[in-house]
Amino acid sequence: MNNHVDPRRKEKINRYRAPKNQGQGGGANEDMMPDYMNILGMIFSMCGLMMKLKWCAWFALYISFASSKASDDAKQVLSSFMLSVSAVVMSYLQNPAAMTPPWAS
Amino acid sequence: MRPVFAFLLLALICACQAQSDFEEGDNDNDFAEFDDEFVGSNYYTEPAAKNAESNSAGEGAGGDSGSREEQVPPRKQPQVVDDDDDDGLVEEDDEFEHFQDEEEFEGYDGGDAKDPPIDEQAEPKLNIPNIPLHFRTHWDSYWMEMLMVAGLLAYFANFFAGKAKNARLAQLWFSTHKALLDENFALVGDDGKPENENPGLIKESESLYTLWCSGRTCCEGMLVELKMIKRQDLVSLVAGLMRPQLDQVHIKIELTRGLMDSFVFAVGTKKTITKVFKEYTDLSKFCSLVGKPEDRYNVPNGFAVLSEVPEATSAILETRIITALKKYQSYIDYLHISDQFSGPIQQEEGNTLKQLETKPVLLAGFNLPKHAEMETIKPLLLLIFYLMERLKTYRMSKEGKSKSDKNRQRVEEEFLKSTHAARAEAAAQRREDKRKQEKERILADEDPEKQRRWEAKEQKRQAKKNAPKMKRLAVKSL
Repeated sequence: MNNHVDPRRKEKINRYRAPKNQGQGGGANEDMMPDYMNILGMIFSMCGLMMKLKWCAWFALYISFASSKASDDAKQVLSSFMLSVSAVVMSYLQNPAAMTPPWAS
Repeated sequence: MRPVFAFLLLALICACQAQSDFEEGDNDNDFAEFDDEFVGSNYYTEPAAKNAESNSAGEGAGGDSGSREEQVPPRKQPQVVDDDDDDGLVEEDDEFEHFQDEEEFEGYDGGDAKDPPIDEQAEPKLNIPNIPLHFRTHWDSYWMEMLMVAGLLAYFANFFAGKAKNARLAQLWFSTHKALLDENFALVGDDGKPENENPGLIKESESLYTLWCSGRTCCEGMLVELKMIKRQDLVSLVAGLMRPQLDQVHIKIELTRGLMDSFVFAVGTKKTITKVFKEYTDLSKFCSLVGKPEDRYNVPNGFAVLSEVPEATSAILETRIITALKKYQSYIDYLHISDQFSGPIQQEEGNTLKQLETKPVLLAGFNLPKHAEMETIKPLLLLIFYLMERLKTYRMSKEGKSKSDKNRQRVEEEFLKSTHAARAEAAAQRREDKRKQEKERILADEDPEKQRRWEAKEQKRQAKKNAPKMKRLAVKSL
């Protein structure tokens, strides 16, 4: 497997070009995942805000963190994060009582 | 747009919330008198009664309990109506007037009890009213919140730890293979900028590192992708417990055109081969899955082979390659050689009118060893270079060549057939658009003579369009 001749060719150097969305083989599912996560996060945030469900607000915060790693859209990540944080803050401003687990109530 | 929409939504919700609070406040005011008369009295009856009892017990001892009762003003303590909203902290001075009213409570003797004193020294008992749960500073009750915050902290800690580990592994791979890459390529590591600022690995994301090498015989360039486990993401790590993943290195070599004979071939683990067979255009169009590859080509168990020309497949899977496959079976994921590579199958219908550009490539996927012993997989890169040399020298027989040519022709015909209707439609549409544009231009001219001339021309054209058909028919009939 050893080459005795030097295989290097300076004249054949091609510079690197970033692939145009190629190489992400059949990533239809991968592409949709952050969107689904965002929608889920938004639904949880809404539940946290409107129905004053604290665990929903916390879930939304978790989802926004989890989807931030998958999504490239910085604005989307920021908005989902802000929404979930506001859901947590608002729910505790309205009722500073500790969260009771669903099985305890 | 989406973030803007989200913020608008948030603003709307806040506004709704404020509105609902305001309305609730109004409602509270509307029923304020009821609160005073009914709710308040009902709610405070019990503590007040207790107070009365204790007072009577204590004051009975003193004898002059009646006067003492009047001296001691009723305790004014903030009382909270524990309604469902949890937002009604009612604090009113007039509310406690009824404590001084002797007739307010049933069974209350107004302090003139004649019971004998029990203990002269006894102080009147202090009543501690029920205060809402959240005014107690019992941090124990916030265990759920603490759990949540701890979860977030764990996520962050894992993010930094995982990121560092991935970077270390990638760097280890690079330092192990650097000497070999330097021996084979004139350019190792390129960031794509005009002056190659930092030659070496490029970090695409926390779990993906790439390395571009170029300047070698047989190939235009080699792209190495180090796809690590997403160690920085706790969710992915947990998901990885269910479906174990491995750190992988994907090598894509763009071969020089005309270097290899035209054939498509792939070998790899059964799972990967089944996946890529469906995913890649060239494999799905040109190849077929070889039955019993263990007997036919002597590949190790658990490997599958996709082959277009059997002759080329057996030439590639010669003894040295088979030995390497057997030796490094656990590290090899797939090897894919193709002269018709055009990436994954396109789902969109937009690009179907033009056949995708194809290029000859050599793709390989390897698993990285679990304990970061990168030296173990160093020979795999040598295998890749060997395969490249082999492709350069190998030439198919005439039969093999004619078979592969036939296959390429068949695929092209299939493509043309499938897009024939679409192409005809597009051409008709173009012609129609052109005619419409011309008509509009003539009509806009406001010159009746010109319009008449154009109409006559149009009629002539229509007639001409129909005429050849008739002529041809006439010729045929003759």
